[in-house]
Amino acid sequence: MAGKSGRTISATPDRSVLKRILSWEGALVVIFIGVLIMGRVLSPSYTLNNVLREMPKYLSEILIALPMGFILIMGEIDISVGSIVCLSTATATFAGNAGLPFPVVILVCLLTGLACGALNGFILTRWPELPPMIVTLGTQIIFRGIAEVALGSGGSASYANNADLEILGKKIGPFPIAFFVVLIAAAIFIVVLSKTTFGRKLYAIGSNRTAAAYAGIKVNKIRFIVYSLAGLMSALCALFILTTTFGANTTTGQNYEMDVIAMCVFGGIATTGGKGNLFGALIAGFSIVCLRIALGQININTQLILVIIGLLLIISVLISGITQSDWFRKKQLAAKQKKAEAAK
Amino acid sequence: MKKLLCIALSILMIIGMLSACAPGIDKSQASYALVTKSAGNPYNEKEAEGFEKVMKAMGVPAGNYIIKHPEAATVDAQINVINSLISQGVSCIAIAANDANALSSVLKEAKAAGIKIVTLDSDVAVEDRLTFCNQAGVTQVAQALVDAVYDIAGGEGEYAILSATSQATNQNAWIDAMKAITASDSKYSKLTLVEVAYGDDENQKSTDQTQALLAKYPNLKVICAPTTVGIAAAAKVLQDKGSSVKLTGLGLPSEMAEFIGDDAAHSCPYMFLWNPIDLGSLAAYASIALAEGKITGKVGDTFTCDMENSPYTLTAVEGTTASEIILGAPFRFDSSNIAEWAKVY
Repeated sequence: MAGKSGRTISATPDRSVLKRILSWEGALVVIFIGVLIMGRVLSPSYTLNNVLREMPKYLSEILIALPMGFILIMGEIDISVGSIVCLSTATATFAGNAGLPFPVVILVCLLTGLACGALNGFILTRWPELPPMIVTLGTQIIFRGIAEVALGSGGSASYANNADLEILGKKIGPFPIAFFVVLIAAAIFIVVLSKTTFGRKLYAIGSNRTAAAYAGIKVNKIRFIVYSLAGLMSALCALFILTTTFGANTTTGQNYEMDVIAMCVFGGIATTGGKGNLFGALIAGFSIVCLRIALGQININTQLILVIIGLLLIISVLISGITQSDWFRKKQLAAKQKKAEAAK
Repeated sequence: MKKLLCIALSILMIIGMLSACAPGIDKSQASYALVTKSAGNPYNEKEAEGFEKVMKAMGVPAGNYIIKHPEAATVDAQINVINSLISQGVSCIAIAANDANALSSVLKEAKAAGIKIVTLDSDVAVEDRLTFCNQAGVTQVAQALVDAVYDIAGGEGEYAILSATSQATNQNAWIDAMKAITASDSKYSKLTLVEVAYGDDENQKSTDQTQALLAKYPNLKVICAPTTVGIAAAAKVLQDKGSSVKLTGLGLPSEMAEFIGDDAAHSCPYMFLWNPIDLGSLAAYASIALAEGKITGKVGDTFTCDMENSPYTLTAVEGTTASEIILGAPFRFDSSNIAEWAKVY
């Protein structure tokens, strides 16, 4: 397992500074700082206050990137998260407008997400041979469809009592609450993935699901938990989306699944499973958010922003592809042997 | 080392790409922004063209007017764009809203930052903007469309509406007004609206929806598509099939020229539209008038500009004290004038 499970659980961790920078996570930190410097140089309005003010809208996507990281590490995918966000904002809006107290509204929102995630989990564990991509494509259409029916011909509903939502949208100093929620959630997910047996099992399932099952891992139970978790976190994201849109719209959360998968892949998580870690995804998420804000402020064509992020993705996949290819490994091995011989 | 090299190269590449970008805002004078519904929609691009033309003519420096096409036709994308404009501290934002409700919070934030808000094409909640540049009064458009359906169908029969997205403010207002007109006048009692289909302003989806309408309703006589994307898609489907179903609605002349004609070989006898270039220009003049304090957005304010219907007066939106500026009545395009207009836009 250690051999195939990637950078984080290598048998003999090398802790030299150069190695750390050369690791993908280190490179991401450099990229992140690069993005901030670039933004500052190119746009006079790229100040801490402005970046933090624009951030909550983008930040909430990182909340979904965390469980998506789990799913990708298992070698699977969930493309229904954007629709879960949409449906959760809709139920929360209806609950709020029905006069329910705000804690109940939050509960309704989170339960909607959890139920959607659990439905994904149920289908995928009841019939484990089904491809997750297709199943979640189906539920993606279903969840958004339900939201569209519920929202009716107007396609949008506004939240009547904004005061409640404004509490969640508040700031502590210059930092929006969403910022702290993201950091806390990220800390929990990172610890679970890297320090617990649950996290180890995810890598095991991603490396070889059959072998993991034979090793006594309750594969389906874990898959069910992870998909439910993805639903729950999508609903949490929905809650913070509500603090900026103050209502539900049938297009809410559109393409979030792709943004989120991009964050994970850019963060070094392999979609084939078993590789990567969430620290990388977190830094990648923040880099993409700050890059988008910077590019927005210099008013380049918004389609060009998509092109740039697409390029970044391909470059990141290329780099991890190169470093993990047999060709590269053989070359490294040869270099090591040469060194060893020279030392003799 | 390979990684480092790749990263350095990609960062350099990005900075290189961006450093050639537009000049920054000159803070010593007013700056203006136009936010359209989405990119890749020729109608939006024409609005932007009119906006830009006026900005240039009025001597606004290149860095002080910003035209933003959101990356997707969603309110999410528009919120991000407005947030960015607040950071940049522009003086005035003109926006064609993708959703009336969801922009409320971000527009209030813009207002608090001292930014003046004008809407065009598709309005937001009236308290969130100063005035609205209305391409044509809702009832005028709806009346023109209903009369066209009545005329083309020969006074009776089934018709369907092919709209854009189900939450587009303007589309819904026209459709509701059409329903109200047909219900209130017995002249239209023999017309039956069988379905309102939504093509989401995507060519493929609009094509699919048109084919579905034809399959579902064999007695269909007329399709009315009050959206430029929808009407072009439907026109192609009907004309390629040689269908007897006829089409009318709101369309861009340049896209519809090959489909407009009175004979059986053409799918659309006539259609309507206003001039989106003029609408963009009107929004630009209104923005400038607001920023310079010539108007405040109150009903009764007037301003002059270099346009056909100048001077414009701010009139009240029906049932409210909020103001709007009506561009003019919708314009009819038929076989006699389409060739000439197809060259314009």
